[in-house]
Amino acid sequence: MKNPNIAVIYFPGNNCEEESLRAVLASGMDGRIVRWNERKGIEKYDGFVIPGGWAYEDRIRAGVIAAKDPVFKVIKAEAENGKPVLGICNGAQALVECGMIPGLKDKVEMALAPNINPFISGYYCTWVCVKSNEDRDRCAFTKFTEKDEVIPIPIAHGEGRFVTKDAELIQKLAKNRQIIFQYSAKDGKIEESFPTNPNGAIYNIAAICSKKGNVMAIMPHPERASFIRQLPDIELKNNSIGDARAMESPAPAMNVFVSMKKYIVN
Amino acid sequence: MGGIEAEQIGINAMSDSEISEFLRKNAISLSVFEVKKVVELIGRNPTLTELYIFNTQWSEHSSYKSSRAVLKALLPTQAPNVILGPVEDSGIVELGYIGNERYGIVVSHESHNHPSQVVPYEGAATGVGGIIRDVLCMGAKVIAVADPLRFGNPNGKNKNKVKYIANEVINGIAAYGDAVGIPNICGDIYFNDSFDENCLVNVVCLGIVREKDIIHSYAPKNAEGYDIIIIGKATDNSGFGGAAFASLILDEKNRESNRGAVQVPDPFLKNVIIRASYAVFEDARNKGVQLGFKDMGAGGIMCSTSELCSEADFGADIDLGRVNVSMQSLPPYIIACSETQERFTWICPPEFTKTLLKIYNEDFELPQISLGAGAFVIGKVTKQQDYILRHNGKIVCNVPIKVVTQGIKYERQKKEPKRSFKEPNLKEPKDYNKVLLSVLRHPNVASKAKAYKHYDTSVMGNAVIESGYADAGVVKAVDGSAFGIALKTDCNPGYCRIDPYWGAVNAVAESMRNVAAVGAIPSALTDCLNYGNPEKPEAFYDFYEGVRGIADAAKNLFLKGTKYPVPVISGNVSFYNESASGNSVDPSPVIACIGILKDYSKAITMKLKKENSALFLIGDRKDELGGSVYYDMNNEIGAVVPIIDFEKERNMIYAVIDAINAGLLLSCHDISDGGLATTVSEMILGGDADGNIGAEIDLGFTDLRADKALFSETSGFIFEVEEKSTEKLKTLFRFYKINLTELGKTTGNKLTITRKNKKIIDLPISELKEAWTKGFAEALE
Repeated sequence: MKNPNIAVIYFPGNNCEEESLRAVLASGMDGRIVRWNERKGIEKYDGFVIPGGWAYEDRIRAGVIAAKDPVFKVIKAEAENGKPVLGICNGAQALVECGMIPGLKDKVEMALAPNINPFISGYYCTWVCVKSNEDRDRCAFTKFTEKDEVIPIPIAHGEGRFVTKDAELIQKLAKNRQIIFQYSAKDGKIEESFPTNPNGAIYNIAAICSKKGNVMAIMPHPERASFIRQLPDIELKNNSIGDARAMESPAPAMNVFVSMKKYIVN
Repeated sequence: MGGIEAEQIGINAMSDSEISEFLRKNAISLSVFEVKKVVELIGRNPTLTELYIFNTQWSEHSSYKSSRAVLKALLPTQAPNVILGPVEDSGIVELGYIGNERYGIVVSHESHNHPSQVVPYEGAATGVGGIIRDVLCMGAKVIAVADPLRFGNPNGKNKNKVKYIANEVINGIAAYGDAVGIPNICGDIYFNDSFDENCLVNVVCLGIVREKDIIHSYAPKNAEGYDIIIIGKATDNSGFGGAAFASLILDEKNRESNRGAVQVPDPFLKNVIIRASYAVFEDARNKGVQLGFKDMGAGGIMCSTSELCSEADFGADIDLGRVNVSMQSLPPYIIACSETQERFTWICPPEFTKTLLKIYNEDFELPQISLGAGAFVIGKVTKQQDYILRHNGKIVCNVPIKVVTQGIKYERQKKEPKRSFKEPNLKEPKDYNKVLLSVLRHPNVASKAKAYKHYDTSVMGNAVIESGYADAGVVKAVDGSAFGIALKTDCNPGYCRIDPYWGAVNAVAESMRNVAAVGAIPSALTDCLNYGNPEKPEAFYDFYEGVRGIADAAKNLFLKGTKYPVPVISGNVSFYNESASGNSVDPSPVIACIGILKDYSKAITMKLKKENSALFLIGDRKDELGGSVYYDMNNEIGAVVPIIDFEKERNMIYAVIDAINAGLLLSCHDISDGGLATTVSEMILGGDADGNIGAEIDLGFTDLRADKALFSETSGFIFEVEEKSTEKLKTLFRFYKINLTELGKTTGNKLTITRKNKKIIDLPISELKEAWTKGFAEALE
């Protein structure tokens, strides 16, 4: 089979398209940045990444306008055909706003509300840990990530708190095994308190996948944690000091992209 | 002289007091002398549009009329690694060769002080927006920003206003930088009461460009008949008179009228413009098209178009009626001089115009992104060197273009102000634990995480060392090469208050130490010179001494491996930083140092890495606590500031760089605010304050009283070394004739400092953390 070709969608206001493409390419896939108004023919791509940023200036609410962009009709249809769709940060917000995540009903079931934490109100950029909550084969983006594996990854958002009005939704998501990553301490312990949970997300949710597992909305940024070089002042990085090749080798979050490739190729 | 069709103001027939009255009524800041000079230069009475043009062009902000002579006489701007000195919108220093191509780092450094004092959120945001334009318009890819900030005393008599301004400035920087998606990689923040009524908001921006892809801020060769194209936001009346406003003393009474001089930020539109402009760069490169490109900052369309054409010895003929405006019936002088944000000017050969317009207007749909935005042809480059503006079919400005751009110069008087600083006679403290915790909690020392974690520090994915983890921020320069770029800004206002010369020298030296502490070679400097009213001889003296200090430091701390200075490649002068009551801010020559790592993977942070490694000190401790945090805590300022021994400083910096690049150091941190005890505490904590390796220190190496040894801010470094590396290290430092002092070792989970067999400090890491992470947050609350 030919190498998977990924469209990284740029809506006006996005700002993580370049590093998202870099991670896509480094994982061994092909890809390009596709502007929102170049939608003709995008159904030919094998998968889609909706990157972070502030699509359409986050007017009304983060991700709302992007979710209504005609591009999303195509992406939604392609996702129903099984193609993988990864929404990161603002992309995750758009996937929730268009109902693809969690996708149990044909409507918006969740929201990403303003962060609540005792340290910084509004936009908060910091390194956190997330723990993989499901087995490797559960979703298109964790085929190389063991259950309970802890991954260093940064967040950079003002509205990243997964919430829902539906009291039973979280149980349903747990039962469907759709909660893919949770904010955790370095040792994997799930603590609801700050700083382990950086934004007050319900059930420490950092990423949710669709029922079929081919769509994932993730608030932290795997593309900013895909190379050892990008990591903060931690042992995993410090062991590579002085070794440029080791610094450019994959960090744990790169597996999100490598897994996307495997999902497509298989 | 060409024709003029608009009404001329009868300056010639007016008395001086009538001219004054006319200027006041029309909010023109030119002096009567200057207005008469305009009449003389153009040989007739000016139109109102022409007067506003000179009002902007001859403002201090745009003309550097007080500072130019001093800067030119003193600052070293040339060295073999300079690709472009401080002549265009940004300077460019060599990064190095990748393959056969020479790459440059594009740097710009600006202030947005007055707007930030009046409307802090918008003022700070547009500061970021402006500096990004300065770098982008060189044809560069924008890769990082940094923000040096100075606020008033958070515990003083104006504390509520100070806290409000500090929070809003931080929010404004965050909102703009986060939205455009440029990582904020470093900065520094100081508080003191000299900034109560005049905060300083400086901003630095870095870009990367291949030397052959540089686009200049002037029209290309043979540009006669080329199109003048403006792109971006529709012009409105915002920021009209911004440059003139930046050159006035702030008066609280005029707060409301000053608001109109502040621009309105639109980072969303900028985000799209940046990407569209990258697309233009690429297309022009592929087709071999030569263009001119310039940011619209102070003076708007007028300044941008006149400089683009004048610098290349052309004229311009512009129809202001073709400018996209968002307000109807704007008079011509507002269309010409408004500082509406998010705009640029292109000089474009007609055969490429269609492509350029298509990229902005169709591919990136600017008109749909923001009402009235887009790319529009507004005029032509002319052979005749006149600057002609037309409006409603009439010529409203027709002046030789060099007259518009040549500016005006003043010789300012300088007079040394009386300073009566003296050293305090402090009793030795009894409880050093308490003193150290207070130093760590001091807002000038405490962790600034609450500011920089509000900024996007990891966007673009180019991070090597993000804000807070080390003395400088480090980013990877270019995909596919190992070059790293380090950046840090510095200037201690207390030193400069006591001694404007040594304060400036220290700012340069500290910025170099900071980039050296991650392993980078200090390769270029920029300066943003924030001072009081230059018409006052005392303030001008401080300015002169500051520039002299920068120049001496740059010339004597040679570019590593040469006898050339570390060149000053870009900068900005901000005068009139004083309140209506006549209080000037502390002299603040804020320096940014750009460091280069050939191999970014060698870069190290400040956090202790291993148990039982040795801690070394270089830089002897001296009784130089003037302007120190320790004195400030004792409500003193002192008189003796750190003095830099250039040869020693140079050798320390070189030795540290060599040691890091040879892999001999595990961690490294320079000694500055808060002295040695603070440096060690910060190494224990690390940027995220999550360190868990303690240290044992012995002060046996010095005869200074313990408080002076612990808190003196004399320059130096502390670093961590594994036993296996110590011999090599000693050899290296002997070569540089630098005294290596063994300070102690890393161990346990606390900090202990011993003096003559007595533990004078004994603190668990948790208490260091509590103090260091709380102090800045408290200042903002």
